[in-house]
Amino acid sequence: MRRFLLATFVFLASFLLTAKSLNDPADRLLGVWEPSNGRARVKIEKIGTKYYGKIVWLKEPTDPETGKPKLDKNNPDESLRNAPLKGYRMLKDFTYKGDDEWTEGTIYDPNNGSTYSCIIKMKDANTLEIRGYIGIATFGRTDVWKRLQVPAKP
Amino acid sequence: MNYASRLLFVLLLSMPLSHAFAQTDSTATEEDYGEYDNLSFAGDGNKNYCSNKIEGLSPSKLISLGYDFQGPQTLSADSFGAVSPYERAFGLAHGLRFAANVPVISRNSIIVQMSANYLETRYQEKANQTGTNGILAQALTNNGLRSMGLGTTIFKPLDGKKFLLFQGSADLNGDWQWGDFMPLKYLKYSAAAVYGLRTSDRKQWGIGLSRTYRAGELNYIPILLFNSTNPSNTWGTEILFPARAHVRRTFSPRSMAFFGYELEGQSYRLWFNPSTRGEDLEIRRSEIRLRFVYERSLKDFIWMSLQVGYRINYSYNVDRLPDGKDFYRGFFGTQPMAMENKLTNPLYINLSINLVSP
Repeated sequence: MRRFLLATFVFLASFLLTAKSLNDPADRLLGVWEPSNGRARVKIEKIGTKYYGKIVWLKEPTDPETGKPKLDKNNPDESLRNAPLKGYRMLKDFTYKGDDEWTEGTIYDPNNGSTYSCIIKMKDANTLEIRGYIGIATFGRTDVWKRLQVPAKP
Repeated sequence: MNYASRLLFVLLLSMPLSHAFAQTDSTATEEDYGEYDNLSFAGDGNKNYCSNKIEGLSPSKLISLGYDFQGPQTLSADSFGAVSPYERAFGLAHGLRFAANVPVISRNSIIVQMSANYLETRYQEKANQTGTNGILAQALTNNGLRSMGLGTTIFKPLDGKKFLLFQGSADLNGDWQWGDFMPLKYLKYSAAAVYGLRTSDRKQWGIGLSRTYRAGELNYIPILLFNSTNPSNTWGTEILFPARAHVRRTFSPRSMAFFGYELEGQSYRLWFNPSTRGEDLEIRRSEIRLRFVYERSLKDFIWMSLQVGYRINYSYNVDRLPDGKDFYRGFFGTQPMAMENKLTNPLYINLSINLVSP
């Protein structure tokens, strides 16, 4: 009987924790998003307690110079310049601050190899405002990202 | 530890771990990226607005602090009143330059920037010069020239291709001194409007009209914008004709060189000396800076810029403003100048440290 009670307690605790995770408002950030220029798609995932976004689709996946898949050739770290752009984590280390905002993260621009401080604000369930900035948020730029989904089957 | 305790211990330990691994790091395994090809917007799609930049364009400067040095030069001043024509030799002319461009609104649907700028030129007369001296040489030697202004730039994309660009500024130019400013009624207003097309990620062009003092005096000049980058991101052009035009050579996104020119000018009021203040005289200063520029990132967003070039004098004439009010002469007007002066052309160098934009 004692064993049964313990097992039940453990199962319930595990279930409650999982349920909390599924309903966590911070997890609304998860999914695939498209920046306003439509040139890439970024999948935001949760690893541990932080949120990360990786490039999963490129409008022009091939480097016109080499005819091969685009690489992160502008990365300031030379050892990363042969890494494929597809799969590259361009959003890193975001934590949910509350009030529909994820902060303390960075965004990487593969066009120039620069990494900026970044704040993500969810305007509605399908719209993000992503502000990359230098030092203080005043010196920055906001882009609007839209959520993507698998199209409904006819 | 009995069985139940061990079971509880193991399960409790594994819970946070399984919780963490429930959100898998999908880069750890091969992912089928093909599944992201055919997605649709969950809600309304993005409105398509073109960017104000193209690929490979040099980064714009949010804050710039620099110093400008011009080599020795000689002023050949026209007669003025009872003073006969004279020559005056100057040693190194130099001065501080500061500019700030702060984005007030920076979204993909509109960008509004406020700007502030200051530049000065201090002249040093060479020693042991004899002969006539006049108000112009005295003003340059005693006070130098300063320009301080505020402005705004608005970039408004109309759709994924078309855009409008507005620029306006008000500048206080003259031989004023810190702590003894000229009245704001002497502000000079400049403006420009451009209608442009961003025809690809590597090319944008536009045409427009400007009210400008770059040629020294008030003028209305057509503008041509043409920015481009070649497919390998190694060469490009950055042109806003007639203000500036450069060919760009990109070594990396953090290191680039330019060759071209900038047309720089303003109308500077000779105001400081009370005995000539009522004459309403303004130096119509304009110079073409033929130059080589090298810019590179020192650390992250801190860039240095080094210019080396030849400063060609376009105008250093002096106008007397009727009733103190500015007027339009254009390229074909016949209003006489108060003084038609010449200035020899020195080499120049300019070094600046810049905070560049995302």
